Amino acid sequence: MKECRAVGSVRRIVEEPSYPGARAPERRASVESVGLRINVVEWGDAGAPPLVLCHGMFDHAMGFAVLGPLLAEQYRVIAIDARGHGDSDWADAYTWPLDIVDIVNVLRWIGRPSFLVGHSKGGGQSIDAAVAAPELVEKLVNIDGFGPPPFKESELPSPRGLTAFLDERRAAAERSAWRPYASFDDLVKRRGQQNPRLPDDWLRYFVFHASRHGEDGWRWKSDPHMASHGFGPWTPDWVGPAYAALRMPMLAITGSERDTWGPLPERLLAPRLAFAPSLQRTAIAGAGHFVHMEKPVETARAILDFCTA
Amino acid sequence: MIELRHGRARLALHRLRAAAGTPLLLLHELAASAAMWEPSAIEWSGPVYALDFCGHGHSTAIAGGGYTPELLAGDADAALAHIGGAVVAGAGIGAYVSLLLSAGRADDVAACLLLPGRGLTGGGAAPDFRKPKVEFMTTAQRMTGAGCDPMVAILEHDVRPPEYVARFAGNARRVVLREDGASRPPWWEALRTLPNAAVERGDLNECLRRLDANSPASG
Repeated sequence: MKECRAVGSVRRIVEEPSYPGARAPERRASVESVGLRINVVEWGDAGAPPLVLCHGMFDHAMGFAVLGPLLAEQYRVIAIDARGHGDSDWADAYTWPLDIVDIVNVLRWIGRPSFLVGHSKGGGQSIDAAVAAPELVEKLVNIDGFGPPPFKESELPSPRGLTAFLDERRAAAERSAWRPYASFDDLVKRRGQQNPRLPDDWLRYFVFHASRHGEDGWRWKSDPHMASHGFGPWTPDWVGPAYAALRMPMLAITGSERDTWGPLPERLLAPRLAFAPSLQRTAIAGAGHFVHMEKPVETARAILDFCTA
Repeated sequence: MIELRHGRARLALHRLRAAAGTPLLLLHELAASAAMWEPSAIEWSGPVYALDFCGHGHSTAIAGGGYTPELLAGDADAALAHIGGAVVAGAGIGAYVSLLLSAGRADDVAACLLLPGRGLTGGGAAPDFRKPKVEFMTTAQRMTGAGCDPMVAILEHDVRPPEYVARFAGNARRVVLREDGASRPPWWEALRTLPNAAVERGDLNECLRRLDANSPASG
C-alpha cells in the first residue's frame, strides 16, 4: 500500500495491485557489493538448491513475482535488484563490469553453486558472471539476452557522439531525479508505451513495485543517471565470442513473436550462440521479448526441465 | 583549490599558477594526483591548472566503482568548462583522457600533449574473451592503500582498440606525442600516422614550448 497526498488535504491510497500468480517474496536481504547494498528477494525453501534471477534494464526483482514462485516449487529462488534498480542502492556511475561483480558477490553470498537465470541485459550479464565464477554456477539460462544487432554507421563512435556524451555528462551534474508523474496511472501508461504486449493488470503490478510516491507525485525508483548514453569501444561483435569461455550448459530461451527489443533475427542469433560449448534452445510460442512475464508457466517449465535434467 | 561537480562526484581543480594567457590543464597518471606536477618546474606562459580525477587526490570516489576513461574525460570536461579554452597535457591515463577531451571539445582545446605514465595501456587493444570481466577486482585488492580508490584499478583493464581511437582522434586540433624510445600501446601507435599528430622527443618543457603560443619555439 502506498499512501499519497494528492492535492490539499485529499489523501489517496493506492493498494498493491493484484495479478494472477504473483506472490510477495518470502524473504528479503541486502548483499554488500563494492560499498553498495544490493537488494535480493526470495521465494521457496531456504534449504533447496539456489536459483538466481537477474532482470533486464529498467526492470526489477519483482518483475519475477510470477516466475519466481513457479520455480520455487523446486528451488530456493533469489531475485536480484541490480544496482540503480528497484530497492538496491544507486551508484555514481554505471558500467557493465560492476554489474557482473554484483552478481558474483550475490553468488558468493549464497555460498554454494547456483543455477543462474537472466533476462535481456541480465541474461548477457549472467553469461559474464558465469565465466567469472564458473565454480558458483551449475547451469545457465539466458532469456533473450543475446545483445543488440550490429551497430549501424550512425551508432559507431564518432567525434559528434563523443561531444554529445560530454554534453550529457555536464547535464548529469544537475539531474538528480526523474520528473514526477501526477498519477500512478500516468506511470503505468508510460511503461505501457514501451511494453505494448504486456497486459494492463501486469503493468500495474510491475509499475507499483518500480515506483514510489513523494510530495510532488510518482517517480521511478531507478536511478535517472542510467538513462545517459554511454560512449566507449564496446561493439556487439564481442557478444558471441565471449560465450566460448562458458564451462557449463546454457539454455537459450526466446519468444516466438517480434517485439520492441527482440528477438534477434535468426541469421544474427545463431552465429552468436554457435560459440557456446554446450547449448540447448527453446522458443516460447506466443511470447515477445518479456518471455517470463508473458508466458511464465511455459518459461518455468522450460527452466525446470533444463535445470533438473 | 576549486571544487567542481561532475555527476555526483566532487572534483578538486588546483590552480598551480595565476597568469594571463592560454591556460594549461594538467591531467595526472593513474593512482596519482595533481601533486605529481611540480609547479615551479613547469614552463608555461599562461595560467596552469591541475585536476584530481575522481577517486584520486582531493576528489571524491565514485560510489560503486564504475570508473572508465570516458567518465574521467567528463571530469576533465568539467575542468575545461570552468577554465575556458586550454591546452591539455596528460600522463598515463591522463594522456588517454586528454585525447578524448581534445577530440570531443575541439573548439576549446587548442592542442594536447600525451605523456607516458601509469594507466597508458589499459587492458590492451582487443578483448581477451578467455579472461573474466571481473579480473580488475584482483588488481583493486593490490591497490588498497595506494592513496586512491582501489576501484580505479579497472582503468588498467579497459580495452582501447586502435580502430576505436581512430574514429575520433582525427577531430582533435593538434596532438603531440612525447616519445622516448620506450614502447607505446597500440592506440598510441595508431595516432602517429594522423595528420594532426606530431612526435616530440624532448623533455616535458621542450614539448610544452612547442605548444605555448608565447614561446619562440611554438610551431
